[in-house]
Parts: sequence; C-alpha cells; structure tokens
Amino acid sequence: MNYFPDEVIEHIFDFIASHKDRNSISLVSKSWHKIERCSRKRVFIGNCYAINPERLIERFPSLRSLTLKGKPHFADFNLVPHEWGGFVHPWIVALAKARVGLEELRLKRMVVSDESLELLSRSFASFKSLVLVSCEGFTTDGLASVAANCRHLCELDLQENEIEDHRGQWLNCFPESSTALTSLNFSCLKGETNLAALERLVARSPNLESLKVNRAVPLDALTRLLSCAPQLVDLGVGSYENEPDQESFVKLMDAIKKCTSLRSLSGFSEVAPLCLTAFYPICQNLTSLNLSYAAEIQGNHLIRFIQFCKRLQRLWILDSIGDKGLEVVASTCKELQELRVFPSDLHDEEDNDTAVTEIGLVAISAGCPKLHSILYFCKQMTNAALITVAKNCPNFIRFRLCILEPNKPDHTTSQSLDEGFGAIVQACKGLRRLSVSGLLTDKVFLYIGMYAEQLEMLSIAFAGDTDKGMLYVLNGCKKMRKLEIRDSPFGNAALLADVDKYRTMRSLWMSSCEVTLGGCKRLARNAPWLNVEIINENENNDLMMERNEEDEREKVDRLYLYRTVVGARKDAPPCVTIL
Amino acid sequence: MEGCPRNICPKLLDLIPQGREWYHEENNNTDQEKKLELRLGPPGGYEEDRSAKKNTETRNNNIMKEQTEISSPSKNHLSPCNKANVSHISQKRTAPGPVVGWPPVRSFRKNLASTSSSKLGNESSHVSHINKNGDGVTQVEPKREGMFVKINMDSVPIGRKIDLNAYNSYEQLSFAVDKLFRGLLAAQRDTSSGEREEKPIIGLLDGKGEFTLTYEDNEGDKMLVGDVPWQMFISSVKRLRVIKSSEISSALRFGCRRR
Repeated sequence: MNYFPDEVIEHIFDFIASHKDRNSISLVSKSWHKIERCSRKRVFIGNCYAINPERLIERFPSLRSLTLKGKPHFADFNLVPHEWGGFVHPWIVALAKARVGLEELRLKRMVVSDESLELLSRSFASFKSLVLVSCEGFTTDGLASVAANCRHLCELDLQENEIEDHRGQWLNCFPESSTALTSLNFSCLKGETNLAALERLVARSPNLESLKVNRAVPLDALTRLLSCAPQLVDLGVGSYENEPDQESFVKLMDAIKKCTSLRSLSGFSEVAPLCLTAFYPICQNLTSLNLSYAAEIQGNHLIRFIQFCKRLQRLWILDSIGDKGLEVVASTCKELQELRVFPSDLHDEEDNDTAVTEIGLVAISAGCPKLHSILYFCKQMTNAALITVAKNCPNFIRFRLCILEPNKPDHTTSQSLDEGFGAIVQACKGLRRLSVSGLLTDKVFLYIGMYAEQLEMLSIAFAGDTDKGMLYVLNGCKKMRKLEIRDSPFGNAALLADVDKYRTMRSLWMSSCEVTLGGCKRLARNAPWLNVEIINENENNDLMMERNEEDEREKVDRLYLYRTVVGARKDAPPCVTIL
Repeated sequence: MEGCPRNICPKLLDLIPQGREWYHEENNNTDQEKKLELRLGPPGGYEEDRSAKKNTETRNNNIMKEQTEISSPSKNHLSPCNKANVSHISQKRTAPGPVVGWPPVRSFRKNLASTSSSKLGNESSHVSHINKNGDGVTQVEPKREGMFVKINMDSVPIGRKIDLNAYNSYEQLSFAVDKLFRGLLAAQRDTSSGEREEKPIIGLLDGKGEFTLTYEDNEGDKMLVGDVPWQMFISSVKRLRVIKSSEISSALRFGCRRR
C-alpha cells in the first residue's frame, strides 16, 4: 500500500465509512494515521467529556460532521440533576474559532443554549444539518437564528427535546430563498405554530422528505400540507382530539391517498379513532409506525389499523394493544425487525386486562423471524416464555425487558428469572444491548458473563445478591462499553477488582448501590485516567473533600465514572464532586 | 480472573425444549433447576428483611435453601461486608411506593393516559422539570404528582382517568366530566342519522340533571359528590362514577363494581 501516493490511499479510505473501521485504520502505521486523520470527515464522540474540542480539531482538521453525547442514559429517567453538564457551547466556540467547515451537528442529551445556536448559525457557512435528541436549555429564539442564518440548511430534526416555546415566529425566519429543506421535525414543541408560515415553507421545499409537526397543527392544515408535499416519505402528525366532520375527513383521505411514497408514520398524540382510519390508504406501504403517544386509542382500533400494515419493519406501540393485538402483529407483520411496547397506564395499581404479558412476547417471537430489537414493558414474565423466545429468535441484537414491578419473580413458578435471561444470552450470540428486570440473583450475571460475548451495553436495576454478580459481568463481557446499575447490592469489591477494565469501557453508572466514598476515592487514586464523579444532590464540593475516616464508609448515592484523556472537567456543578 | 468459575457449566441447554410445548409443568422446572450444578452462597441474614416484600418471602427462602456455598478461594471477606449491608439493601430494594426514575420511561410518557383530561397537571410538572434558573430548584421528580382516578359513566363502555389535582372545586370537576364524556356519550347514542348531536352533561351535582356524579371512598362506600369540603373529598375519593339520576337509590344499594 505504501507504494501508492497519499491521494490514492485517501481515496481508498473514502469508501470506509464506519467509525470503528476508520479507527482501526488509523492504528496501522504512522502514515496511515496521518492520511486517515486528515481526510476524516465524520467523527462520533460518545462522551463529550472524554476529549476536548481543541484536541479534536487538532487531530481532524477536515471535520465536517460531529456527533456528541452528553449526559448518561439514566438522565432520561430523572436520575441526573439538570445542571450536571454536557454543554455544547465550548465545542461550538472552538469549532468556530478554528474555522472548521462544519456541516452537520448531532447532539444527544446535551445542554444547548440560544447563544450556542446563534453562534452556530453565524459561524459555519456550509452548515446543513442539525439533529438534537433529548437536549434542553434553548428556546424557539435559538431555532429562529438557525432558520434565519443557515442558508444551506437541509435538516432540522428536533427529537424529544425540552424547548421553551416562546410562540414566536421562528418558522417565519426561514428566508423565502430557502428551498433546500429535506427534513423538518418540530414535534416536541408545545406551543402554537404559525400555520401560514409552515405551509409556505413546505410549499417551497420540493425536496422535503420528512415532516413531523407538533400537536398544534390541526387536521385541515395537515390536509393542506400533504396536498403540497405528496412526495413525503416520513410523516409525523399532530393532535386531533375531536373527530373531523365528513367533508374534512374526505379531504384528508384524498390528500393521503396521493402520498404514495409515505413509508413512515408517527405523532398522533390524542387522536380520535376516526382520524386514524383516514390513513388506511397508505397502510400497506408503511415500514415504520409509531403510535406510542396515542393513549386515547383503544386496542381494537390499533389492531384494525395494523392489520393492513403488512410491510412493517419498525413498530412502536402502547401496551393497550394487548396480547391479542400482538398476536395480530405476529401474524401480519412478517417483516418486523424492531418492536417497542410502552406502558400506557402507569397510575393504575390494579390488574389491567389489556396490558401485555409473556403471551404477547412469545407470539411475536414466533411470528416475526426477522425481529432483532425489542423493548418490552410488561407486568409479568415467565422463564418458560423467555426460553421459548430465545429459541424462536436467536438473532436479537437488542433485548430490553422491563417488568414494571421491581423484583417480580416468574409468576407461574415464583422462581427468579435467571434461567430465562440466561437462555436469551446463550441463544442470541450477537446480542449487543441487554436490559434485565424482575427477580434476579447473581446467577443471571454468571450467565451473562459467560455467554454474552458481544454485549456492549447492559442495564441492571434491582438485581443480584452480592459483588459476584457485577464481577461476573466485568470479567466476562469483553466488549462491554456501557454499564449502568441502580438499586443493586454491588459494592467496593466489585468496583475495585479490575481497574484496568474501565480503560476498555466508555462509562459506568452506579446509583443506590453499595459503593462507598472510600471505595470511590481509592479507585480515583488508582486510575488517574478516569473521571470518578460523585453526585449527591444535598452536598457541595467543600463538604465532600473534608470528610474524615468514618465518613468514607458512607454510601455514595450516585457514581458515574468514565475514561478521559483530558482530566477532570471544569464545568461541574456543586452537586457533583470529581475525585 | 476472580469470581468467574469457568470450569463449571450450568446445564442450560437442558432447559431449551426441543420441539416441546412451552407450557412446562411446574415440577419439570424444579427438576431442571436441581440439575444445575452451580450454586451461589447467599450472605447470611439475607432472609430476615424480606418480610417487607409481599409474595416473595417464601419463594426466596425456597431458592436459598436449594443452594449451598461455593468454596471460593478469594473474596471471603465479602460476606461480612454484605451481611452488614444486606438489610439496608433489602429494604431499599423492596421499598413499596413510587421509586424515583422507575419505571424507566421518559417523563412525557408518564402522563400520556390522561393527557386530555389534565393538561393543567402536565404543564405544571413540565414547568417544574425545567425550572433551573438558580432558584435552587434542582428537583429530580416534578413537584406536582397527578392524582389520577378512574371515572366511568353509565351507558358508556369506555372509562376515563381524571387528574383531581388539576381542579380546585366541584364546579371545575363537573365541567371537566362534561368535557370528558360529552363526545363519548353522544357517540353511544348515535342513531342512524349522520348528524351527531352533542348535548352538554349538566346538573351532575344537584340531582337535577339526567346524570349524577358519585364516588367510591377509601372505605368502599358509594357517595354522592358534593357533600363535604373539596379537600376532604380529595383525601378520600378512590374512583368516580357518573350514574343516571333515576338509578340513584338502586346504585347505592346494590353497587356492583365491574372491572
């Protein structure tokens, strides 16, 4: 290879897209390292505190697309204080200062401010794509600056962010000359939408393929939007509490019939069942369907709809569909690859006849041979069912099971669910992500450590008996990257057994476990390349550092540790102590 | 490598049925369990504090009794450490009542079931969620928990849920009930004519309307809504029912609760 000039090698590298592969290439030799880093356009940073922007820019001067992740996963469930960190601002400042030709920015669980968005919009002339997932800290004013200043903007995708809606005219801020939009998603905005501005924008965007509106877009507006964008591939609709009158309904259905390219449908928070029927004409084309916000729709309406969706590959649904509904899915959706069943009624303490059980899960596993990803919330499970599922579906890559009641055993045998999950990890040799629940002893972790060779992410809650459980996992799962544990009896012995293991992992989260301050301090001393963060909401830094011997035995509320090449971060709030 | 006895193979494969029905009989499972050679030694004192947890105490005892200690070369000092901590852990793990961050769903999914009936409740929890202006409010859970109770209405097969914390008076409640059920009631009464007339549901509290609002209190008694001060009502109400005014005496007498 070294007989070729650099440009040729670079051209060959262009064909290699995956981050893992490119990282491997850069390790081959010095010259390959240099060619690779100078030609690298896309960089993925799984933990924004593992590196700093200056070093990133130094290594990859040709950067065009950056993906950053901030807060740990459990922040989704309110286990991380809001001010914990994950600020994107220093990154944007550094990239702007270095005049990087940034075109695409994708952020997950980061804090974004209007100031950041304004700076972003003014600093990168070729900026094309902004994707924000589960972020917070900004308002529609920030969106307005992006709309106004990013002249080549193609994609603005806002997924499940907390955005303060100033009910302003941000949609008006797209200049009339802006015609390049391919994707617009503002479904998470809670306020009113300027419908006229939206319609004009959609009308002048012939390349628009993905449009996801928020709840404030009523039926007649949706009809007009669909009429001027029949080329849509991906549609997210608003909220339609009241059933439409005859005329509106017919108009809507006519508009939908013309959307022959439509493959993906979502939205539907609060939708009257009749509105759903307007979409029947395109059901058979759908490959992706997300009805998981539609709490009002009863199971039978869902079933009737799904019966027509024979090409479905991805389905997100509420458990109101019931086991019977899942049996219908199993017999209809033979192409199904990913299924998520969310809980619909979390306040009901009584038994709910329409929730899903192990029966639905087994039916799906039997009927859908291509299934590889599942997230399943249910009230009960059995080992027998999990063993059957494992036998039916050895191709799982992601298997996340959440039994709503912590520590719940197999409801027919009252045993723990160790055997069931054991069967899953043994049969599914390609399993990369696993979440376990129900009554579990150390044994399940022995199985995981033994069989889950490809496992990269493991979520544990209310499980295990002793440190052995955690040790089985740390010792056995060679590819483990993210381990998150809550309310389980793992302590210092497990934490400290193999410090070097954390070099190979992105992060470890432990909350309400048995680790003590003393143990964490010892870890931090032995591993200076780790940031060991203690999160105690009622404490501040000074108190923490003054602790004497006795206090070191005190348990740590929340521990988050991650490898880093840039040492302790400087933006930690008072409730976070970095040891 | 410590703690990982690789030379012991649990007979997991025995558990994967070869073309058998997956409804095992119970004793089959126990036989399979016993075939597994691997045993894990529980820390002592583990069983005592599980009494807090209903249903699992005896089951756990059974599991523990089937297992014996592994003679592990290292980590014997683990046991005393865990013994001391286990009681604390058991309590933590088996604490009844709402647990922070559980089940693991995003906040906006938690209120889905009653979004339409309690937008007020949602907004307040949303505001407290992002209130981080340095007020010192760094809460983990939204301050205002919704108080959702079931509400059913005669002649409407589908029940609803209503967030009582969203209201401050009987009048507001009555108005909300009307809003919740008006459409559903009209749908039930829809005849062959295409037009559906939606009549407001009034007179719920004074006995003068076609329907009357009743509730079931924490003692299981069925009561008319409106007699006691609002706060007292809130503290004792368990579920609501809108019944035909004509049925009042029979409902209170024979009150049958359908699931």
